Amino acid sequence: MSFQIIINIALQFSIISLVGISFFLIFNTGKYYAIHHSAIIALGGYFTFFFHRKFGVSLPISIFSSIIITGLLGLFIEFFIFKNLRKKSSETFFMIIASLGIYVIMQNLISIFWGDDSKTIRVGEVEVGNIFLGAYITDIQIVIIIVSIILIVLSLFFLKYTNLGKKMQAVSSNEELSNIFGINSNHVILWSFGVGSALAAIAGILIILDTDMTPSTGFKYLFYGVVAMIIGGVGNFKGLIAGALILVTAQNLSAYYIDSKWMDATAYVILILFLVWKPLGFSGKRLRKVEI
Amino acid sequence: MEYILHLFIFISIYILLSQSLSLAAGYSGLISLAHAGFYGIGAYTSALLTVNFGLPFLITLPLAMLFCGITAIIVSTISLRTVDDYFIIITLGIQVVVFSIMNNWQSLTRGPLGIPGIPSIEIFGFPFEDKISFLLLGLFFVGVVWFLLNNISRSPFGRILIALSEDEIFTQSLGKNVYKAKVISFTLSAMFAAIPGVLYAHYISYIDPTSFTIDESIFILSIVIIGGMRNMFKIAIAAAFLVLLPEALRFLGMPSAIAANMRQIIYGAILIVVIFRSSKEFMPSIQTVK
Repeated sequence: MSFQIIINIALQFSIISLVGISFFLIFNTGKYYAIHHSAIIALGGYFTFFFHRKFGVSLPISIFSSIIITGLLGLFIEFFIFKNLRKKSSETFFMIIASLGIYVIMQNLISIFWGDDSKTIRVGEVEVGNIFLGAYITDIQIVIIIVSIILIVLSLFFLKYTNLGKKMQAVSSNEELSNIFGINSNHVILWSFGVGSALAAIAGILIILDTDMTPSTGFKYLFYGVVAMIIGGVGNFKGLIAGALILVTAQNLSAYYIDSKWMDATAYVILILFLVWKPLGFSGKRLRKVEI
Repeated sequence: MEYILHLFIFISIYILLSQSLSLAAGYSGLISLAHAGFYGIGAYTSALLTVNFGLPFLITLPLAMLFCGITAIIVSTISLRTVDDYFIIITLGIQVVVFSIMNNWQSLTRGPLGIPGIPSIEIFGFPFEDKISFLLLGLFFVGVVWFLLNNISRSPFGRILIALSEDEIFTQSLGKNVYKAKVISFTLSAMFAAIPGVLYAHYISYIDPTSFTIDESIFILSIVIIGGMRNMFKIAIAAAFLVLLPEALRFLGMPSAIAANMRQIIYGAILIVVIFRSSKEFMPSIQTVK
């Protein structure tokens, strides 16, 4: 039983840190809490479901096209709405409200098109899976863990060593100064929304491959990702990974010792504990927002 | 006719909700996404007290407000350590936790099954059973809350709130206790939100957690934003408009299966349009308080 917890932790950790990274990418440059990102996560799963089940497209092609479409969607939303808002005013509060509006629209469109019941791509019966050190793990869960770890490492390298990743970090630390140095911050922000939305789509696909997907699933995972980002210290990539690990471990322990239905509440209690005693995340990096 | 009265009762409930949120969101700049949570706490407190102990309305209403207030004080002393965006995220978390308590604490709230059979309101032996008398009761509360909020917003305390929503540090430098003012305004706002909760529980006579979700919070917040944050009259108009909108859609022949979704899509779209049209003039427009 104890090893099963470790596998559960690994599984949820990989999905939540993937969601967290996808959000981190857009938050780092966009500088606002894009709540509509949760609908992007859900859409990644739903598009794959739609292509695969309704049109009978083979799974790899539907996954690929879903990633592309969702990435483009995130990019278009940024281009048509938030780019103009950013031009008009610098208040992030307006952007969060607009993002709430987009979230409401997208989530309701999803439930009009696909219904509120849960969808899954899983074929046939639930497999028992492979027995590994006395714990059960299905093939698809192994795939999820491997894919997530690869993507986490890749995005770390992307931010550190590629041209675009370096530009994103420049825009994130000081937008005006990077404009002076010839980086077009609008382009970089657009790119980060494209990449972030594509990553979110992958997370959504992994979720729908393993478990069920309802229109509100994306919101739950985004909430976990945001909590992981806040407790890791906002704007800190390694802190985010550690935050996701802490969050998932605490949730699974609470599910094991208390009840699995209190997992949302556990996430929130951890968020409170961190905001009260470690408001800057455990990395301690200072934030402009919290300095009052 | 009955149906029109029913709509008017709902309009009065939403006017109460959005005006009480306006005290926190409009005056002191605390954009809260937890308002449906406090609405639900009020409804559940009154429903449980009435069903389990048979307490009358005149006792359950103050108790519901008190309980909401205590919860809000506890929650706000913690969450007001953060500002701006972080505060919105925290209130989102409060909403999630309140919903999860209503949904999962099955021995107390019966979880998703909800609480059926809540008796109608009775004051001094007079039952508010038919819709006209209930509407009058609702309008009475709208009047009281409107009057109180108007007075609060014009009092010295209201001016502190307006000042701190514009410049927190400057207000602090004038010797005002900003933190305390924020906690008080958040708590008052939550206590006023208990009133429509109690009314709703006794009017529908059945409550379950799905009435108090995050979507409800967004809906209330959008009424406040569309109404211009601080203008009580415009907020009342906006509440009436957004409640009547799905009915108008029904007359246009929208199938009822997607009517609920279309209602939300339309208010989401209105929200974006409002933000777009006013993001430049938004702050000046909410600053002019007469």
